[in-house]
Amino acid sequence: MHSDKNEKESSYPKFAVVGHPNKGKSSIVSSLALDDSVQIGDTPGTTQVKRSFPLIVDGKVIYELFDTPGFQRARRVLSWLKKQEPVSADKRSDVVRAFIFEHRDNEKFRDEVELLEPIVNGAGIIYVVDASKPYGVEYEVEMEILRWCGQPSMAILNLISEEDYREQWNNALGHYFRMVRTFNPIESTFREHLELLEGMSHLKEEWRRPIKFAITILEDLYQKKVEKSIDIIVDNIQKTLSFVYRLNVKGEKVTPEEEERAKIAYREQIIKFEIEQTKAIEAIWNHRSIEKIENILSLENVGLFSEESASIFGLSEKGLIITGASAGAITGVGVDLMFAGHTLFMASLIGGVVGGVGAMFGFNNLYEVKILGQSVGKRELTVGPMKNLNFPYVLLGRALYHNALIAKRSHALRGTLNLDKDTFFLEQLIGSDVRKKLEEVHLQLRKGKSLSEESIIEYKKVIRASFESLLD
Amino acid sequence: MQEKQNNITLKNYIDFTQLLQEYRGNHEENRLFALKHESLLKSPQSILLQWFRDNAFRVKEPLYSKTFLEHSFTALTILSFISFFLGLFTGIGLLSYSGATPVNIIYYLLFATFLPFISMVITLLSMITKDSSFSFFKGFFSWYWVEKLLKYFTLKEKFDWVDTYLSSDLQKWMGIYKLQRFSLLFSLGLMIALLFMVISQDIAFSWSTTLQISAETFHNFIEMLATPWESFFPSSVPSVELVELSQHYRLGEKLNYEMVNQANKLGAWWKYLAMATLFYAIFLRTILWLVSGYFFKKQLEKEFLSLNGTKQLLYEFNTPYVSTKAMTKENHLDIIEEENVPVKESVNSQYHSILGWNLSDNEMLLVNDSKKIQSSRIYSTGGNHSFEQDEVSASEAKGRVLLYVKAWEPPTMDFVDFLEILVENRDVFEVELFPLGTIENNYIRSEKELSIWKRKIEGLKFDKVWVIDA
Repeated sequence: MHSDKNEKESSYPKFAVVGHPNKGKSSIVSSLALDDSVQIGDTPGTTQVKRSFPLIVDGKVIYELFDTPGFQRARRVLSWLKKQEPVSADKRSDVVRAFIFEHRDNEKFRDEVELLEPIVNGAGIIYVVDASKPYGVEYEVEMEILRWCGQPSMAILNLISEEDYREQWNNALGHYFRMVRTFNPIESTFREHLELLEGMSHLKEEWRRPIKFAITILEDLYQKKVEKSIDIIVDNIQKTLSFVYRLNVKGEKVTPEEEERAKIAYREQIIKFEIEQTKAIEAIWNHRSIEKIENILSLENVGLFSEESASIFGLSEKGLIITGASAGAITGVGVDLMFAGHTLFMASLIGGVVGGVGAMFGFNNLYEVKILGQSVGKRELTVGPMKNLNFPYVLLGRALYHNALIAKRSHALRGTLNLDKDTFFLEQLIGSDVRKKLEEVHLQLRKGKSLSEESIIEYKKVIRASFESLLD
Repeated sequence: MQEKQNNITLKNYIDFTQLLQEYRGNHEENRLFALKHESLLKSPQSILLQWFRDNAFRVKEPLYSKTFLEHSFTALTILSFISFFLGLFTGIGLLSYSGATPVNIIYYLLFATFLPFISMVITLLSMITKDSSFSFFKGFFSWYWVEKLLKYFTLKEKFDWVDTYLSSDLQKWMGIYKLQRFSLLFSLGLMIALLFMVISQDIAFSWSTTLQISAETFHNFIEMLATPWESFFPSSVPSVELVELSQHYRLGEKLNYEMVNQANKLGAWWKYLAMATLFYAIFLRTILWLVSGYFFKKQLEKEFLSLNGTKQLLYEFNTPYVSTKAMTKENHLDIIEEENVPVKESVNSQYHSILGWNLSDNEMLLVNDSKKIQSSRIYSTGGNHSFEQDEVSASEAKGRVLLYVKAWEPPTMDFVDFLEILVENRDVFEVELFPLGTIENNYIRSEKELSIWKRKIEGLKFDKVWVIDA
């Protein structure tokens, strides 16, 4: 009874990702497990012990992936196995089990024990090779050992570099594996990820249902991640556009220092909002260990207010005027629009305050600076809300760009996130008709009015459509 | 019982807000909680309340709700007493009867019907308006100012957080609800005063106005006011005769003779006044009190569900917790940086022995031809050779040995074992390891590939082994 229970509990599919050292096993696992914490290195032996990556849904394991060390002494293992011959095919996996039992404490075969153990315990074999390098006979030893294990298996051709030797590999692997697939963990899309899982489900009849369930769950999870990241972007737009910084003023008049301090504090808060947004988005997509290029365009510094980001992430002067006029925003803020249009293309938005450039165009063209309560003796300097018409588009453009990069980024990538935005133009992404809808919301926020639920839903729909087009 | 438990109180609301600021759990915990209370999942309010109850112990002291509710209770009690006694004394004042002149019912009606009516209209306008419009209407409530002053002079600093915790809409409904309570208590005071005065004195009521209003017109007016209760309590509505009789002219030297003679009839007005107070000041106010209480509760529920953090909680309750991460933390490998790697920058044209690791004889011939390297002893090792065969090859090697390796295949322990045997061979006095690129790349290896080999050889610390970087 007890053993039945155990069997039932561990009846979910298991897959051991095995192969020669440095052929991208950890990259594949990292990509499939959506985990960017897996150590991936160009030094052989980076993975020293097997690690389990279960897909757990509400505490129930649906399938389990094992990242394993590469074969180190494959010839000796095979030699040991062959010494046990003659062995009938149905007993060969027992011989592998005996090898593990005998060499469990033998440091010499530590890697082989680690990689063979999940297989003899029922894991399917995912054999990874680098198909960008020529095939070599030395692989046959490894494949022969895996054949001895008698578990369902498939081979993955990983193209680590640009050359392509897949034909050679296909010819050889076909003799050992029922299924051979190409999968590049660095460049693979979410769809390809699911296709690989689908392929893995065919290794064993009883694995089909759980893997299909896992695919449904992962697809749903993906959609939820998209939805959540859009929520975060829209929340940030709302929060930022309606933000007002308040400073109590001590003297009779507001000193230039006080005004400057308030403006800087306002600007810093807005940057902080964006940093929080980027962090939240990276957490949603499970990218917690990303290194980013720390330059002026990095989302984590003053890049938000750079001249370039204003023109690339925001709208062109023409686009802006069309949008503003069509939404009725031009009325009342016509002067702002004119000035803002110029500031967009000639200087930084708010960064100008610090850099001195903004003074040329006037700080008030960006957002309101008011002194309140002079009549009753209590003075309060307020900065905001942001009046600049292009600002929400800059914010939106940057957020969508960052979100798309993160959503598409493979978890196997360990390089620095390149926020090169040369090819990103919000105007192409969001048509003028759609911008009208956005501008209506921006207008409300600029006026400090709260948004109705319907308008937020509509706004999110527009943003989501733009974001999804970036994902394609 | 269950329904009572699912009611959101102001205390729950404030504590929940504070809890959300201090603790939100994580997806795994929250989903697990939701699965344990699956039956509550259909009702967001119920499951959030259950989550709050389960985690209420996490709210750190001081509890904002405690300070707030204590203060509110004190303020509410004080103002309730003031309201009641103000009503009571107003009533006594209005109904004080010296016997010299009758009591003018118009003053009393002003407090019992007109003022409540106007105040209720303003209340209704406040209910249906928002933001700036509401700010305008709320200014008409005297109690609003009294409470504001009380708050300002007593515990202002302690309640700085109120505006953050309680939205303007919620504060509006809370204010309206409280104001109805005070007004109701004022009216009750008024009513009790009326009953007390009627019982304790023989009051002669009259009506008097500067306006040229006939008794008939005035009767029509009071009859109109009495419409709501006239049908089931007709005797409370004064007759035209009584209205005529009770009209009082101030400029008369003495009281009207007829009035004095029929003074016993003048007291009959009290029933009308009592009913007017009961209906306009108490009944309608009670309805308004209950309605504002209902809307306050609805607003509380609405905002409870839209508090910062509830959306995330509900998402986590309803979304399966999916984990794809490793259960164990990985011990990161320390990479040995190459320091003193023995490197040769050129390859000789003649070697005593040439060995190829994982290279076939034919492949080695091609390399030798390409690189113009010669040797009388050429051994293919690794690959599909057995380890024993490799041992023989290693023992047969002599002098200066060139060892070809595939640069793209990182060194395995199998190779290290073989290299060890080769190094231990006393006839071998030098091993030059030559990482080769692919034939398509004319055997040129990449820097990264070379670096991996250099690091490995550096780590092995073999005196005899050199890496060719040519």
